[in-house]
Amino acid sequence: MSVPDPNTFSLDINDPEDAELIEYFLGELPEKVDFIHDAADRVDLESLRRIAHQLKGAAPGFGFPSIGSAAKELEGSIRELSESGEDIAGVRAQIESLTSLCQSYISTNPFKK
Amino acid sequence: MTDEQLSQLESPPAVLLIDDSEFVHRILDSRLRSESISLIGEYDGKAGIERAIKDQPALILLDLDMPVMDGFEALRLLKDDPITRNIPVIVISGLNSSQDKVTAFDLGAVDFITKPFELTELRARVRSSLKMSALLRMLEQKAQIDGLSGLYNRAYFDDRFQEEYDRSMRHGQPFSIALIDLDEFKQVNDTYGHPAGDMVISGVARLILQQCRNIDIACRYGGEEFVLIMPETTPAQAFTLCERIRAGCEALSWAQHPSRKVTLSCGVIGADDGNSINSTPQALFEMVDRNLYQAKQNGRNQVKASHFDGTPLTISKAG
Repeated sequence: MSVPDPNTFSLDINDPEDAELIEYFLGELPEKVDFIHDAADRVDLESLRRIAHQLKGAAPGFGFPSIGSAAKELEGSIRELSESGEDIAGVRAQIESLTSLCQSYISTNPFKK
Repeated sequence: MTDEQLSQLESPPAVLLIDDSEFVHRILDSRLRSESISLIGEYDGKAGIERAIKDQPALILLDLDMPVMDGFEALRLLKDDPITRNIPVIVISGLNSSQDKVTAFDLGAVDFITKPFELTELRARVRSSLKMSALLRMLEQKAQIDGLSGLYNRAYFDDRFQEEYDRSMRHGQPFSIALIDLDEFKQVNDTYGHPAGDMVISGVARLILQQCRNIDIACRYGGEEFVLIMPETTPAQAFTLCERIRAGCEALSWAQHPSRKVTLSCGVIGADDGNSINSTPQALFEMVDRNLYQAKQNGRNQVKASHFDGTPLTISKAG
């Protein structure tokens, strides 16, 4: 997966309605990243699957299709994992790529005061 | 059309979103802001069903993958309950599988939208479902309205009478009904023709609506008979209201027959305390019919009112 430029959104940041959605999403993101780390530490695959599922569906609408794709990969891997009965180690890479992508957006959040 | 019916048409339709993701609530709130709807939300299937029963939204947007109760189960329950059965449901889901779509439609969904949303499509689908829902409601309402008078029809009266009767008994509130019959109406039809008779029916109906308060339910019972359900109204108050209708009718002049006045007779029955009626709606209706007969016997153009137990009314004669 190519790393997107964290300053680009698929919505128009100069449009007030779009900007409002981008700002909201970026504001919520740190909490979601913490949630993913916590769930991974607890090996809570159902919570991980659910948050990945939510981000997959929602992120593109807020202007973050790359987060949507990374979340989709994580969700898919967790489903495979549940079927094969493998260890959570099998999805570490997908967790890492999703959270680091989120981190890169958080660190360059243009709305951050 | 009554004020109640008008105000339902004028207020923006409520759309209920049931989705466990705050993101989805947020994005729909923003993206549907330009539509003339009022968006309300719940976060799981169980709470969503309760809200649908309470608020009777015009449309439900339902997510499939939710904790506590998933969307399919919620959809099944919504379609099982007569109170929510007719509310259209659009299923929204990130699971883009044909099997899910088939299941959703089989369970009674009107449409299926996949996440992430394509905005123009989302708005178009919401609009189209709302239009369908408004048409269905209009049809339902038409089925309750008498075409000539614009009042509720007989079928509606039968349902509503029982309902209001039960409610008044439960809460121990005053309750009255009135049965109104135009005097020697056949003469009007025979002498001036049926179109003139129709004008009289719709004119008197208009007068009744003008005199009734918001809580009253005015229905055309049949031919030239009207019936009023008056919740929270003592027989004495009902008498005053009907006396105004009687006097108003006598005062009307008719373009087709200026020299021929139209009068009406009216029976009223009721109770000051709903708890005290140890009877049935049917028995109450027979009593009001007897009072109407009395009014006719006593010379027409008058209101005959009494308590359901036969005690006379104490009425301060209105000028």
